[in-house]
Amino acid sequence: MMLLAKAALGLGATVVLVGAYTMREGVIRVDVEEYRAGGSHVHLWVPAAAVPMAMHFVPSKHMRHASEQAREALPVLHAIVKELKRYPDAEFVEIDDNAQHVRVRTHGGKLQIDVDAPDQKVHVLCPLSAIEDVTSQLEEHATGA
Amino acid sequence: MSDGNRSFFARTALIATAALALSPLGVLGQSAAAPASSNQSTTSVSKDRWLHVRVISSDAKGETVRVNIPLELAEKVLPAINKHRLHDGKIKIDDAHVNDVELRALVDAIRTTKDGEFVTVQSNDCDVRVAKQNNHLIVHVLDKENSKKSEVEVKVPMKVIDALFSAGKDELDLVAALHALSAQGDTELVSVKDHENTVRVWLDSKNVTD
Repeated sequence: MMLLAKAALGLGATVVLVGAYTMREGVIRVDVEEYRAGGSHVHLWVPAAAVPMAMHFVPSKHMRHASEQAREALPVLHAIVKELKRYPDAEFVEIDDNAQHVRVRTHGGKLQIDVDAPDQKVHVLCPLSAIEDVTSQLEEHATGA
Repeated sequence: MSDGNRSFFARTALIATAALALSPLGVLGQSAAAPASSNQSTTSVSKDRWLHVRVISSDAKGETVRVNIPLELAEKVLPAINKHRLHDGKIKIDDAHVNDVELRALVDAIRTTKDGEFVTVQSNDCDVRVAKQNNHLIVHVLDKENSKKSEVEVKVPMKVIDALFSAGKDELDLVAALHALSAQGDTELVSVKDHENTVRVWLDSKNVTD
């Protein structure tokens, strides 16, 4: 029984450490609901720290291709994210009318984009540090290419 | 250690392990719940200067647009955009001529002139006033042509105009203009009112619109 308890404690501690490491940057959350026949219903929750880690396993040629595709936008994205980190809680864009509501803001160091329209709902929540990591990795591959 | 104690410690260790193992799910739940429960944006007054744009439409859709941009963010991001006429935070203009008016010479003339009214037009259709006042260039247009009047007022600090034209020939230095703007106090830059829309562009230190 004692051995089992020790093993459980060790396993638990490992799970906690791995969990804490994975969750240290929060969660990337994407929810898309399209209210039409055949519309998309996407609900994606990914630990933010897992994305840059996973990118290390993407074959170089795919990363180079992605970098090429995003080459023009990367410096702008990098500059925006770097600056947005200085404003962890701010409202940047808000559009309201009778039918729809669009909001772009930072909240707790995360970029939050909400679109509530009659035909669709889109909610994106992504830690700025995760966007910065991804941008940096793509820039590195663009430089390498 | 007695059997009872051993059993107690073993159970405690198992419960602790289960609780610890489940704790990341709690964190996950909290981080997911956070955006839903916190819809209020904080208002901060700091040294940061914010450019605000607000458009309120009074038509059937009743659209409202609010844009808040930190000037420093715009200053840092603009040089990163190199597309079409925009390069390194400067925008190219053709020969600095607009309708055969040499803009740079016009700006130089306005800068060196004392405060006063440069253009005053009053007619049945519209009133126009262009003036320099307290180191601000002011343009005021009142359109009376339609049954529903519309009014435009633009007020730009002279330092901002100077900075805008501080680049080389045929270029407007947007970054320099933003930098000069950030040194200004709270001010309203543009105000447009007509029967359908109200547009306001202003500068202050708050990160939300009023």
